[in-house]
Amino acid sequence: MTDREVHRDRSVNEKIVFNLLAWSNVYPNDGRLSTMKTTGLLQGTLDMLILRTLLFGPAHGHQIAKHIHSTTDDILRLEHGSLYPALHRLERQGWVAAKWEVLGERKRECKYYRLTPAGRKQLAAEESNWNRVAKAIARVMRVPVKV
Amino acid sequence: MNDDLDRELQTHLDLEAEERREAGIPAEQARFEALKTLGNQAHIKEEVRALSPLAAVEDLLQDVRYGLRMLVKNPTFTAVAAGTLALGIAANTAMFSVVDAVLLQPLPYAQADRLAMVWENVNLPTYKNQRNASAAGNFHDWDTQNRVFSDMAAVGARSWNLTGSGEPMRVDGEAVSAALFRVLQVAPILGRTFTSEDDTPAGASVALLAHGFWIDRFGGDPKMVGQTIRLNDRPYTVIGIMPRGFYFPDPDGELFVPLALTPQQLATHDGHSLTVVARLKPGATIAEAQSDLDGVAARITQANPTTNTGTGVTVLSLHDQVVGDVRTALLVLLGVVGLLLLMVCANIGNLLLSRASTRRREFAVRAALGAGRGRLVRQLLTESTLLAALGGVGGLALAFWGVAAVRTLAPAGLPRIATVSVSAPATLFNFGIALLAGLVCGLAPASRWHRSDLHETLKADTRGSADRSGARARGVLIVIETALGVIVLVGAGLLLRSFLELERVPLGFRPEQILTFRAALPASRYDTGAKRTAFYQKLVERLRALPGAQSASGTSSLPLSRSTRSEGIMIEGAPPPAPGQIPLVDYRSVTPGYFSMMGIPLLRGRDVAWSDTPASEPVIAISDAMARKFWPNQDALGKRIRRNASAPWLTVVGIVGDVQHTDLVHQPRPAMYLPPYQDHGTRDVIADWAVKTSGDPAAVGTAIRTAVWAIDSQLPITRVQTLERLRSAATAQEQFNLLLVGVFALVALILAAVGLYGVTSYAVAQRTRELGIRLALGAQPGDVLRAVLGQVARLAAAGLAIGIVVSLALTRVMATLLFGVGARDPMTFLGVGGLLALVSVVACYIPARRAMRVDPVVVLRS
Repeated sequence: MTDREVHRDRSVNEKIVFNLLAWSNVYPNDGRLSTMKTTGLLQGTLDMLILRTLLFGPAHGHQIAKHIHSTTDDILRLEHGSLYPALHRLERQGWVAAKWEVLGERKRECKYYRLTPAGRKQLAAEESNWNRVAKAIARVMRVPVKV
Repeated sequence: MNDDLDRELQTHLDLEAEERREAGIPAEQARFEALKTLGNQAHIKEEVRALSPLAAVEDLLQDVRYGLRMLVKNPTFTAVAAGTLALGIAANTAMFSVVDAVLLQPLPYAQADRLAMVWENVNLPTYKNQRNASAAGNFHDWDTQNRVFSDMAAVGARSWNLTGSGEPMRVDGEAVSAALFRVLQVAPILGRTFTSEDDTPAGASVALLAHGFWIDRFGGDPKMVGQTIRLNDRPYTVIGIMPRGFYFPDPDGELFVPLALTPQQLATHDGHSLTVVARLKPGATIAEAQSDLDGVAARITQANPTTNTGTGVTVLSLHDQVVGDVRTALLVLLGVVGLLLLMVCANIGNLLLSRASTRRREFAVRAALGAGRGRLVRQLLTESTLLAALGGVGGLALAFWGVAAVRTLAPAGLPRIATVSVSAPATLFNFGIALLAGLVCGLAPASRWHRSDLHETLKADTRGSADRSGARARGVLIVIETALGVIVLVGAGLLLRSFLELERVPLGFRPEQILTFRAALPASRYDTGAKRTAFYQKLVERLRALPGAQSASGTSSLPLSRSTRSEGIMIEGAPPPAPGQIPLVDYRSVTPGYFSMMGIPLLRGRDVAWSDTPASEPVIAISDAMARKFWPNQDALGKRIRRNASAPWLTVVGIVGDVQHTDLVHQPRPAMYLPPYQDHGTRDVIADWAVKTSGDPAAVGTAIRTAVWAIDSQLPITRVQTLERLRSAATAQEQFNLLLVGVFALVALILAAVGLYGVTSYAVAQRTRELGIRLALGAQPGDVLRAVLGQVARLAAAGLAIGIVVSLALTRVMATLLFGVGARDPMTFLGVGGLLALVSVVACYIPARRAMRVDPVVVLRS
């Protein structure tokens, strides 16, 4: 990424630019989405992905990142920098709880996040919303184009 | 919190690196790649920190700390900026304090908004006055026939010679209806107020003392109630003491006695001297009261056509009555200081802009390190607000001094001026406008930052770069500032021109070297004309004999004392006037020699004389205006008038010059002068005395007391002042307005000059390199000067033009404050335009000269 691109993107709220998921495979040339309207959806999506990941049990940040990478075959490459602010935001909203613990085979104390009951409810809500939106988009995309 | 996140991120890095090492990547490279996956850690921390509700407070504290450091680091800038702001804020707070106390605070009466003043509204061809004092009969009819007031009371001004204990003293006070205390809803702190029995001709002689008078004269003795005091040699029983701060309508009133109107007085619609105040019934409004009393007044006119033709009624809220006349002046002054503060803000905005230019790189670096734009703008606003807070504190301190100055300078007629102080609302106002000023000051640099390009700034070679958006913002500020300066200066110019016009009004008399005083004879002891005339003659002789005295004389009313008495007259040979058409003339008694002493020219005939006695032919001297009005193109000498059909004819024996008797603004009215021994039934008494001296008139101040008391030791002597002072007091309000606005205008001029100077200096500094190149390529120093001056001159000219256009629209509000000039007086506008243009050229030329002295060699090498 060159300097020039950084400056073109300055017209968008910088905070949101840094928060964006890197959709490098979907938009290989740009690497970033740069309109305000899509960012709201994407930020919510990141929250949903994290909550969904935690459904399998407590995990620390690194595990969550790796999990999202591997399950999507690296299509969604999560910028680690945006993961931690998201985790802290979810914690502040009471959807996840965090604790320093030693879990798993490595003898290392990590900050583990786990889903709270409120988080479960939030996940359910976001999932159903996601499904509706995905279906709607799919319907549009499947309309055959008559030339 | 921060440690927690640090540790979390560190764990992440460790795990990431560990994974890569396990995949066979060398340790150093693994660590580096791990760092890359995580990205900008400072930014992550900043974002997480921003989630905390405390973050905003922390940011603010940080901004404040940083801002304070910047202010301390640039002490000159800080002192200049905060100092100018303090001046601007102080002027506003002081003016607001005055406006608050005079216009906004409620009057010191219970439910004062329910109180109304009722006046005769006289509209005759010969005389117009919307607030004419009321005749007793009119008051009585309004009182008994209205349906809107719960109570109505009349008040008449009185003064007495208080004798008996200590030096004789002249006291002022009021004769009041018993209802006054119900109208104003006030109770005495000791004793009782008047009953309706007291308020009859048969009532006892009783008096109420004002609180201040009770303290000053009687030491606050509670046993005063029931005691007897002597007023005009008659005994009065003190029946009560009024509470502290109570007055009506004169704040200096010392005594109250019952008005006790006789049935004859209550039936007469002539003789207008009463002030009428009333309390509205619950639910009634001033407008309803006006229309109700309009009906009553119409009935009175129908019943009394001779006296009441053309006489209606004016109902005014008490508040309008008290402050109506000064409202415009005060609001104009408040507006002017507001404009001044805006100019201060523009100036400081300019300073901040220049400084922001030198700080561009600092801000660019901060932005590159992750500071959001909002954060940077907030930083700039915090800095300017800190400046304003400093200015606010300084301004409050200065405001105390300013209020004291205003109280000293204020004309005596300014109502409630004694209550002006920097009050709680004023303090609040002070810091409110300080905050506002801070935001306004910071707006220009902040908005400019909004547009500037971070990348360009970082790349740019600051030496040569033209800071174009900054120049535009500065240009706009200087145009605004010049325009504001024009408005303030035009206001001041108009007031100055009015004042000069007023000063040029011919007085008709010469006030120089004349000392005046009042010694009024009590009617009880001086009950005949012979006794009074004997006293007058003796006093004139004694006064003339004083060392340093040249001449002396007395009159019943001094010029420019704002009081006059007038009388309807009939002219011999003229048809009897229709009702309401009776010609009115002012009258006053004078001793012989009064005209020559006052420098009033005797145009024809002779002066009044001691030999004009009740036994000789009744005579008068008249003013030129009276001669021309009633006997145009004729010789008025020898013509005769009389006061009414049953009065004797009075012969005109002298014609004297016109005098500005009531004020400077109005044309002199027709006037007649009565000899001291012939009051022609007017019961006019000579009470004001004047001594013309060869040296300083104030020097005879003590001698006159001895002279008076040698004749009558019971006479109080009051109002000792030079006639010059009385004359100056006639324009006190105008002087006050002019002084304040003049000072403000001077400040505005300096601010405009400083602003232009700063902009020119900056332009020269910015263009040094360019000018150096031009000079190196062969430009003459004169060309360079023209280039720089032309740039600023366009701005000044634009400001001037805008200011003049806005002034043309704005000055109308001050039309009532002007005399002899229009609100769009071309001379004032031209003068102000010229002055500002001149000042602008000088303010620009001084820094612009530096452009000529640019050394191309030095510039190009640097």
